[in-house]
Amino acid sequence: MKIKISRPNIFLIAISTFLLIFVVLFSFLVLIPKGKEYRVQRLDVKKLNSELRQYQDYNDEILSKLKELQKKNRHTITAFENIFNPDRFEKQNKKYFLSLKLSKIQRTKKYEESFDTYEVNTTSKISSPESFYNFLDSINKSDWIISVNFPIHFKRDKDVISSSFTMKVYVVSKDTKKIK
Amino acid sequence: MSYSYIKPRKKSAITVELKFVFVFFGVTIFMLFSVYGFLSFKGYRFSKESERIISKQKHLENSISKMKEQIAFIEKESMVAEQIHTKNSVLKDSISNLFDLIPQRITLSEAKLLKNGLILYGITPTKDVYNFMLQAPLRSIFTKTYSSFYPEKNGWLRFVSTNYVEVENDMFVEENTDEN
Repeated sequence: MKIKISRPNIFLIAISTFLLIFVVLFSFLVLIPKGKEYRVQRLDVKKLNSELRQYQDYNDEILSKLKELQKKNRHTITAFENIFNPDRFEKQNKKYFLSLKLSKIQRTKKYEESFDTYEVNTTSKISSPESFYNFLDSINKSDWIISVNFPIHFKRDKDVISSSFTMKVYVVSKDTKKIK
Repeated sequence: MSYSYIKPRKKSAITVELKFVFVFFGVTIFMLFSVYGFLSFKGYRFSKESERIISKQKHLENSISKMKEQIAFIEKESMVAEQIHTKNSVLKDSISNLFDLIPQRITLSEAKLLKNGLILYGITPTKDVYNFMLQAPLRSIFTKTYSSFYPEKNGWLRFVSTNYVEVENDMFVEENTDEN
């Protein structure tokens, strides 16, 4: 028996087969890989978002720690940034001395790489050692970070004590300020 | 002359079946391309989102490392300030202890507090008073003690007491961190 297929039917079958092959190939070679890629990208974004949230939380935590430290050490931070003003220092501390004179403000070597130090020679007259103790207490609360250094010289001069000593003023160095 | 009783119908290359096949595959291909377009668009959006998240993460990383530096510096400032304040307090106690050391019968005219020593000038009624009441406690503090006496017109003795320490942790030794 001979099957006779008309020409339009052959054309129809050929077109259908061609389109079917195109659909199958497009699906397997393009669409499915694209779908997989989409799924991977979606997971990546989800992962990145979760990491970002962690970064954000950590950032907030560090920021609050920094704010707290800044609040707690406000006086110290300001004191390190203040430029030493001899007139203001004399005005603030003259109550402890009968006379107070500052001289020779000179820059000395760096302290711990981050701080510049200035040496100030001081000559003064006090009525009793108590005044000097009060002065030492007060410089810990002053507007600058100051240490009193040796040599300290006390000499009796009738009813008063002449004293001379050096002070070291610590300020944040300019290089460190730039970094901040 | 006609050979048929019916009228000839027009024949087209696009038959009904072919139309059906075209519609079916047309819809299928349209859906496939739509899905592809959707996936491509989403992929583009995901890659943009990833870029944004990564850039924000980098920004947060920088911000965190900068804040950490600031925290470390504030802690350093606080530590240095604390050291300096402690040093001033220790100095105050040292001077107070020195003046407490001087007995009532001996009068000091001058005192030099050095980095690693102490020089005292004063008047004593007798050598024994000096030896028992001042030199003995000084010897317990300093490793080397030298004394010299000069007679006064009223019979009292003017003395110069030079005292040094060799150990670094003595109360009169300035902290060496300044030199580092």
